[in-house]
Amino acid sequence: MLQTAFNGIVTGIIMTLPALAITLLFGVLKFPNFAVGAMMTVAAYMAFALNAGLGWPLTVATVTVAVVFGGICIVIDWLTFRPLRERGGITLMVASLGLGFVLENLARLAYGNTARSFAMELARPFRFFDIRMNREQMITIVVSTLAMLAMYVLLTKMPIGRAMRAVADNPSLALVRGIESPRIIRWTWFIAGMLLAVGGVLIGMDRAIEPLMGSSYVISVFAAAILGGLGSPLGAFIGALVIGIVSEMSTLVIPPNYRIGIPLCVIALILIFRPQGLFGQAYIRK
Amino acid sequence: MISFIVLMSIVICFSAILALALNFQWGLGGMVNFGLAGLYALGAYACALLMLKGGFNTFFATIGAMVIVGVISGLVAFVTLRVAEEDYFAIVTLGVGEMLRLVALNEDWLTRGALGLSGIPRPFGELVPAEYYAYFMLAISAMLVAATVWFLNRVARSPFGRIMRAVREDDVVAATLGKYVLWARVRIFAIGGALIGLAGSLHAFYYQYIDPTQFSTIVIAYAFMAVIAGGRGAHAGTIIGAAVVMVLLEGSRFAKDIIPWLDSDQLSAIRIIIIGVGLILLLIFRPQGFLREYRLQVELK
Repeated sequence: MLQTAFNGIVTGIIMTLPALAITLLFGVLKFPNFAVGAMMTVAAYMAFALNAGLGWPLTVATVTVAVVFGGICIVIDWLTFRPLRERGGITLMVASLGLGFVLENLARLAYGNTARSFAMELARPFRFFDIRMNREQMITIVVSTLAMLAMYVLLTKMPIGRAMRAVADNPSLALVRGIESPRIIRWTWFIAGMLLAVGGVLIGMDRAIEPLMGSSYVISVFAAAILGGLGSPLGAFIGALVIGIVSEMSTLVIPPNYRIGIPLCVIALILIFRPQGLFGQAYIRK
Repeated sequence: MISFIVLMSIVICFSAILALALNFQWGLGGMVNFGLAGLYALGAYACALLMLKGGFNTFFATIGAMVIVGVISGLVAFVTLRVAEEDYFAIVTLGVGEMLRLVALNEDWLTRGALGLSGIPRPFGELVPAEYYAYFMLAISAMLVAATVWFLNRVARSPFGRIMRAVREDDVVAATLGKYVLWARVRIFAIGGALIGLAGSLHAFYYQYIDPTQFSTIVIAYAFMAVIAGGRGAHAGTIIGAAVVMVLLEGSRFAKDIIPWLDSDQLSAIRIIIIGVGLILLLIFRPQGFLREYRLQVELK
């Protein structure tokens, strides 16, 4: 019971980074990006190539991939989403779906369907009273917490973070104050790409690296972001924790195969009772 | 070779119905359906199970599958769209599709899980001699495509068709004019769902064996590609789009002889990459597709 709750917290923490990425992207670009799962997969494979292929330590590989992948995301946005920016959310969503197919299958083309794992030496799990905690889980907690703190500082204390929030809030008003949205969009993609890359590596460490690893998280991560209120960074963090804990705890009651049903039910409940999410602001259309 | 062409034409027929269903929901109704693969699977499984477990004949099993998928689609649309907008709707359909696929994979007592269902009866399977059956099936499928197009054209040109386009273009304006937007959307999604059920039934009849791997997300990629290539809202275009996509896909099986160093996983990956890139390129460079939506034209004198 306690152990399940703890595993739930870790699952939730794994999802915080992608949920934050989704929420940032949605805030600035105003459409749900369905390619995030495949993006995490590609980033995890890139880290795998550096780590297992070239023998780099995983830390170095992850930092390198995070920076490179942030850049790749800017290029991807420039190639696929920039020309479609004025076409409305549905077109952008369909494009992101297509992009997801492309990225996921590039990974499959390069490495096949076999599950892989990072080259790390095995370590004994620690014990805290009755809770067993393995090293991967500890790394996850530490890395995610640090990343969240960095994001908090970025969004509240740094000019670029404030500009991002301004564009998310009201692009035309931001423009009046001299904030150019193309530059902010590039920054958002860079930061989201870094978050997704780290998230991908953490997922790969927790489970295994295979072509569907990222997309299997997409629904849960979206549920987390919606629960927190799409566009709210703090909400994404708390939403991810709640979804993680509830999904893991649910396995005590329902067959584990249907875990995916939990985030779906959560989405349905939020949409019915509190469409703006826990921390989002209600707004009126038009 | 002739039999290959006949078999492929049947595949094109039920892919065309699936694409027409998506075109109805997305092209005319303006609602994306990312749960297409799951709903398609639901149609195929519902049809097969109604026959194998329920003892229905092929005709009533198909009707049953259409009703089941239609009702489920309508419910999804009702629950989601009652409170939220398109963004959430896309996520919910994605989740529902995944859930349906999981049910097919895990409920062994009903669907036999990964083993799949085999021995699915075909319409008039005992009456028509086996060597002519492909031709017979093609005739039925082609007739159903024609019936679907006829029906959809009727709907598109009816008052309801105008409400559909109004809701797609601007739901707030439609609501201001006194149109019941939610109910219109539920109906659009349910009608589309029924057509997905029909396509799924034909899929089950054609293969006589279904398992969860036939209904992966790739189905979604193909259907969206067919609709975008054909032109959103254009029925004839969608059929041509479906035909081109299926010919390319089936034709790429022969690519194995030309490039033998790729294994089948890699080939299918390349196929999906091409589809994905094509999808994005079409959206950017030719969003209106190759044929255009029906417009009412009045002769001016």
